[in-house]
Amino acid sequence: MVRSKAPGKKQQKKGVDFKKIKRKLGRKLPPPKNATNTEIKSQAIVLPEQSVGADKSGFATSKKGLTLDELLKQTSHHNAKVRKNALHGIKDLLEHNPAELQSLKYAIVDKLRERLSDDDKSVRDTFYLLFDSKIFPSCVEDNQGPMVSRLMPYIFKAMAESSVEVRLMAFKFFHLVVKHYPPTFSLYADKILENYKDIIQKNHFYVQDRSKLNVALSGLAHCLSLLPCDESDTESHKENEPLLAYEQDAANESARFAHVSGRLKEIVGVLINCFQDFIPLIHTPGGFDEKSFSCLHHILCSIGYAIKFSIRMHVQRQNMWLPAYEDDTLMLLDQDIAPLISKKLLGSFPLNPENNLSGKVDERYFILNSVLTEIFLEVSDWSHLHTDLCNRFLVFIENTLLDKVTRSHRQRKPIPKPIYEKTLLALLPSIPKLILRMDSDWRENLLQAFTSTFNDCKPESPLTLACISVVRNVIIPNGDIHYLSESDPTVTNYQRVWVNKLPSLLNQLGDKHPLSSQAVLKLLLDLGRVGCLNASPTFEEDIINFFNPCSQGEGDVSGGAFARLPREAQDLALAFLYYFTINNFSSPLLESIVSCCLNPQLEPAVLCRIVEVVHDAYSAGYIQITDHFSFLTTLVARFKVVQEEGQFSMECKEQETHRGTLKALAELVCLRLSKMGDGSLVLQILEKVLLEQINLKPWFDNGCAILRIICTLDSKPTSLSESSIATLSEYLPGYLIDIVKCIPEDKENSSFYIQTCLYYLIPCYFMFERSSKLTEEVLKRMQSIVSENTKALESVQDRESGRNSLNLIQCVVSVVLLMHNDVKVRKIISSSKSEIDLILQDVISLQSSGSTSLTVEGKHMMKMAGERLKIASNSLVR
Amino acid sequence: MEETTVIASSSFDCGIGSWDLKTGNEQLRFKQCASPSHGLTAVGEKFLAASQLRNASGSSGSVFFWSWNKPQVEVRSFPVESITALTANSEGTYIVGGGASGDIFIWEVATGKLLKKWHAHYVSVTCLVFSGDDSLLVSGSQDGSVRVWSLIRLFDDQQRQHQERTLYEHKFDEHTMAVNDIVIDYGGCNALIVSASKDQTCKVWSLSQGKLLRSIIFPSKINALALDPGGSVFYAGGGDGNIYIGALNSKSDYATQFLGSVSDPSKAITCLAYCADGNLLISGSEGGVICVWNPRSGQPVRSFTFGHGKGPVNNIQVVRKTIVGNANKAQSSWKRNVSSLPPPLEKYERKGDDTMDGIVIVDPPLSSDVPVYSSYRSADLINEQVKELEQQGSAATEIEMERLKLEYKKSIQMNDQWQKNYENLLQVVMEEELNGGSN
Repeated sequence: MVRSKAPGKKQQKKGVDFKKIKRKLGRKLPPPKNATNTEIKSQAIVLPEQSVGADKSGFATSKKGLTLDELLKQTSHHNAKVRKNALHGIKDLLEHNPAELQSLKYAIVDKLRERLSDDDKSVRDTFYLLFDSKIFPSCVEDNQGPMVSRLMPYIFKAMAESSVEVRLMAFKFFHLVVKHYPPTFSLYADKILENYKDIIQKNHFYVQDRSKLNVALSGLAHCLSLLPCDESDTESHKENEPLLAYEQDAANESARFAHVSGRLKEIVGVLINCFQDFIPLIHTPGGFDEKSFSCLHHILCSIGYAIKFSIRMHVQRQNMWLPAYEDDTLMLLDQDIAPLISKKLLGSFPLNPENNLSGKVDERYFILNSVLTEIFLEVSDWSHLHTDLCNRFLVFIENTLLDKVTRSHRQRKPIPKPIYEKTLLALLPSIPKLILRMDSDWRENLLQAFTSTFNDCKPESPLTLACISVVRNVIIPNGDIHYLSESDPTVTNYQRVWVNKLPSLLNQLGDKHPLSSQAVLKLLLDLGRVGCLNASPTFEEDIINFFNPCSQGEGDVSGGAFARLPREAQDLALAFLYYFTINNFSSPLLESIVSCCLNPQLEPAVLCRIVEVVHDAYSAGYIQITDHFSFLTTLVARFKVVQEEGQFSMECKEQETHRGTLKALAELVCLRLSKMGDGSLVLQILEKVLLEQINLKPWFDNGCAILRIICTLDSKPTSLSESSIATLSEYLPGYLIDIVKCIPEDKENSSFYIQTCLYYLIPCYFMFERSSKLTEEVLKRMQSIVSENTKALESVQDRESGRNSLNLIQCVVSVVLLMHNDVKVRKIISSSKSEIDLILQDVISLQSSGSTSLTVEGKHMMKMAGERLKIASNSLVR
Repeated sequence: MEETTVIASSSFDCGIGSWDLKTGNEQLRFKQCASPSHGLTAVGEKFLAASQLRNASGSSGSVFFWSWNKPQVEVRSFPVESITALTANSEGTYIVGGGASGDIFIWEVATGKLLKKWHAHYVSVTCLVFSGDDSLLVSGSQDGSVRVWSLIRLFDDQQRQHQERTLYEHKFDEHTMAVNDIVIDYGGCNALIVSASKDQTCKVWSLSQGKLLRSIIFPSKINALALDPGGSVFYAGGGDGNIYIGALNSKSDYATQFLGSVSDPSKAITCLAYCADGNLLISGSEGGVICVWNPRSGQPVRSFTFGHGKGPVNNIQVVRKTIVGNANKAQSSWKRNVSSLPPPLEKYERKGDDTMDGIVIVDPPLSSDVPVYSSYRSADLINEQVKELEQQGSAATEIEMERLKLEYKKSIQMNDQWQKNYENLLQVVMEEELNGGSN
C-alpha cells in the first residue's frame, strides 16, 4: 500500500499523459456495494413419499390399497371418474371395516356431503347408493340427529340448485334421510314443505318424465304421513310419568307442527293443480302407465294426509273454546281451498277408464277411487256437496263393503284380496259416523252392506278387529250406550244381529287372535254391565262353549278358548261372566264353568278369581244356594291332581302336580262355605253330598279337601249322622294308609314330610276328637286289616301277594305310630287301646310264626314294628 | 270444645253405634237401622241419616233421621226407590242419595224438597262422594263406571240445552266390575280420585285431565278406601281381611305392601275411615269388629265390637262435633234441636210455578246458638223474604241501612287496626332479621 502511493505522487508531478496502471495478479476487486446476496439457505428439503411405497400396515384400505384419508381426498378430485371411484372405494372399505365408520362417522359425512350437488350424475348416484346401503343402515342404533343436522344445509342447498337433476337427487336423498330418521321432517317441516311446493309447482318442466316427478311426490307423501293425525299417537307414551308433575307443552308433537298449516294449504292447492294435469291422461283410452299411477296415488295420499292434519288441528283449537262442537269440516279449511277440493278433486270421482282394460289397470283405478273416498269421508259434512256427488261416493262405499266393485263385466278379475282389505280398513272407521248421520235410506243400505262384510270376514284377517270397533262405535258412541234404545227400528235390528254374532265369533277366534278376542269381550262386558244383554239361546250356548268346549268330545283335554287366552282377556271374560250370570244364569252355564275350573291348564290365580266371581254372583242373589253348594263341592271333589307313580309324589314340585292349587282351592271353598251361614246348618245340607263323594273313594288329595270342609263346618261333638260316620270309617283307614305310603322309609323323620303329612292328617284328628265312635271304628277296621293279612300270609305261598300283605301291615303300624306321636291324638286313641293291643298281638304272632312266606327281611320288619308298637301301647296305659 | 265420634252401622238390624274415639267409650246407640254400604251419613253436625235396607223389595225405599241425642228414629221419609248410597255435603245443607235404578236425588235439608233427580248410571249407584269443596259429586256404580258431576252445572239447564252437553263432567269406564268405594283428595278441581273395585284394582284418576293415571292391582277385591292426609298413599281394605297400602304415585302395577290384618282372616274389611285428628285409621270388618289402627306403626290401638260380633259393619264415619258450653246449655239446645229436625225428604220433584231456577247458598252462621236452619235458604224462600221486606216499607229499610253503615264503619276501623298491626309486626320481624344477620 505504501508503495503504490509513492508512484502516484510522482506521476502528478511529472505530468504523464497516460497513466500506466500496473496490476498485480492475484488481487481481487472488492465486492460492489450494491451487490445482491445470492446465497441460498434452507433448513431441510423433504421430498414427499410416493404413496405407492408408503407403509400402510395397520390402516384400513380399499381394494385398490387406498386408505380412507386418501379416498376422502379423492372425492373432491377434479376428475369425475376419480371421484366416483373414490366413492366406490369408500363403500368397499366400509364393507370390510365397519368399525371404521363408527369412529369416523362425522368426518366421513362432513367430507362426503359436498358430493350431494356434484355435477356428474354417476357420482351423485354412487353417493346416494353409498348412504343408502352403508352409512344409514349402520347408524340405526345411535343418535342420528347430529349427523342429519350436518347433512341438512347441503340438502337445502342442493334443493335450490338450478339444475333439475341435482334438485331431484336432493329430494331423493332427503326422502332417504326421512326414511331412516323420521324426526327430520318435524324439525325442518316448514322449509321442506316450501321446497316441495316449489318443485311440484314447476312440474311442467318435466311433466314428460313421470319418474322424475314421482321422486318428489313419493317423498312428500312420506313426509306428510308423519304428521300426527291421531290423538293416540301422541299420548300413548305418557303412561308412567309421575303424578302431579309439571307438564311440558313443548313435548306435544302436534304443537311442533302448529305453524305449518298455512304451508300445507299451499301444498294442497299445488297438488290439486298437479292432479288436474293428469286428468286428461286418466280419460285416455289406454289408461295410464305404472309411473303416472304412482304419481297420482302419491298426490292423492298427500292431499289426504294434509287435510286430515289440518282438520285435526282445527278441532283441537276449537276444543279449547267450545268442547265437542262439530262444524262443517269442509268449511274449516281455508276458503280458497274448499271449493278447489270439492270441485276439482272430489268432483272428478269416480275415476273410470274409458274402455274396459286389463285387471291391472282396473286395480289402479280402484285404489285411486278408494283414496278419493277417504278424502271425501274426511272433509265432508256431505250436506255441502252435491247430493249427486255424495251418492256416487256412497255407492262406491256400499259396493266396497259388499265386495262387488265394478263387476259389471263378467270377464273382469276381482280386485286382489290385500288391496281390497286395505281399502276396507281405511273405510271402516268412518262407517259409524256415516250410519249415524245418513238419512234412513242410505242408513239401511250401509247397515246391510256392513253386516255382510262383518259376516264375511275371517277371524284371521285384520278386518275383524276393525269390524268389531265399528260395531262398538255404533252401539256405544261417545261412551253412551245406544243398544236397543234407538228410535230407528232398523238400526236396532242390525245391532241385535251383530251382538248375537259376537259369542260365536269369540269361539271362532280361539286363542290365536287375543287382540280381537279382547275387543269382543270388552264390548260384551260393556253391554253386560249395563244389563242390556237379552241373550238368545244360541248366544248362551256360544258363551257356554267359550268357557267349555269339552262337552262335544270327551277326550278333548285342551279346554275352551278361555283357558288359553292371555290373562288380560281372561280378566275381561270373568268380569263379563259375572254380569252374564247376573242376567242369564242357567245350570248348563254353571256346568261349563265347573269344567273350565277343572281344566288343568288354568292358572291357579284365575281359578281363584272364578270362584270369587261365582261367589259374588251368589251373594248378590243371582245364583241359588243349592247351585252354589254343588259348584263348590264339585270343584273340590273333582279337581285333578297329577298322580305320580310310586310314593314320591310329595317331593314333586307343587306346580307340576297342581297339589298346591288344590290346597288353595280347598281353603277358599272352606272360607266361602263358612261365610255362607251357620256351620251346622250348612253341614246338614251338604252332608249327604259330601259323603256320597267320600263313598266314591276319591284320591286322597280330594278326600283330604272334602274332609277339611266337613271339619270346618262341623263342631264338637260332631253333628254328623250315624250313617255318615259309618261311611267315614269305611274310607278313613284306606286314606290313612295311602298317606303313610307316600312317605319314603328313609325320610320318616324329616320335618318336610311330617309337615306335609300333618296337612293330610289334621282333618282326621279333628274328626277323631269330635267322635270317639269314629276313632274306635277306624282302629277296629285297621285291626281287621292286619288280622286278615296275617292270615293270608300264613296260608298263601305267593311271593307277590305276600309282600303286599306285609306292606299293608307295616303301613297300619306306621299309622298307629304316627297317631301316637301326636300328643293330643295319643289321648284320643288311648280309649281304644284294646284294638291297638290286638294289632300288636297279630304282629307278634306273625313274627314268631314259622310261616314260609315270610322272608328274613319281612321278619325283621315285623320285629321292628312289633317293638315300636309295644312301646307305644305301653305308653298309652299311663 | 270438640269431640270426635265414630259412628258405625250394619246391614243387620243392629242400629247405629257411636263411640268416642279418644276414650273408646260407647255412646248412644241409635235404634232401628239396617243400612246398605255407604248408606249412613252424618248431616253436618246436626243429625244422622241412614237409608234402610228393609224395604229393598218393596217399591219405595226409606231414609231415617236420628238427632244426636235421641236413640229413636225421629223422621222417616220414603223416596221413590230404595236408596243404595247416601251422603251429605260437609255443611249439611243437602242430602244426596243414589238409587237402585241408577238415579241420583238431591234434597235440600232445610225444606226436605227434592231439588233434582237425574239418571246417572245404568244400574244401581254404589257410592257417592263430595269433593273437598263440595262443588263436585263423584258417583260410582254397580256397572263399574265412575262419574263426576258439577252441582252447579246440574242446575244449569239453559246452558246445557244450548250446548247440548252431557250432564256429567267426566266419566271413567275402565273398571270392569262394580265400584266399591271412592276417595278424593284435597286438590280442589285438580284433585286426584281413587276408586276401588271388585275387579281387584284401584284406579287413580285425574279430575283436571279427566283420564286414568294409574291402575294398581291388589291381591284381592278392595271394599273400602281411606286416603292418608299426606296425599301420597291410600289405605285399601281387602276382601281377604288385609288392609293394603297403595301408593298414588306407584311405579309398579301391583300393590303388595300391607298395613295389617284383622284377627280372623276370613272376615273381609268392609269399610275404612281416617281421622286426621290423632292420625288414626279405623276399619270395620265383616266380623263386626271395629279396629282403630296407628297407621305409622301398623299396630291396632283399640277395637270396638259392634252388634255382638254378628252383624258385619258396613259403614264407619268419623264425625267431629262441637259441644256447646255447659250441660245446661246443652240441655236447652237439645230441646231446640228436637224441634228443629228438618221435615222428611220429599218423594217427587215439584213441578209448576214454584220451581225455582237456581239455588243460593248463604254463609253459615258463626255462632252455633243461632237456630241453624234459618240461615239456609233456597231461592224461593229468599224471594218470600224479599217480598216481606218490601211490604214492611221504608222504615225497616232505613233502620237496616243505618245498621249497615255502622257495620261498614266498624269494618273500616278494624281494617285500619289490622293494617297497623301488620306493619308493627313487619317492623319487628325486619329488626329481628337484621339483628340476626348482624350477629
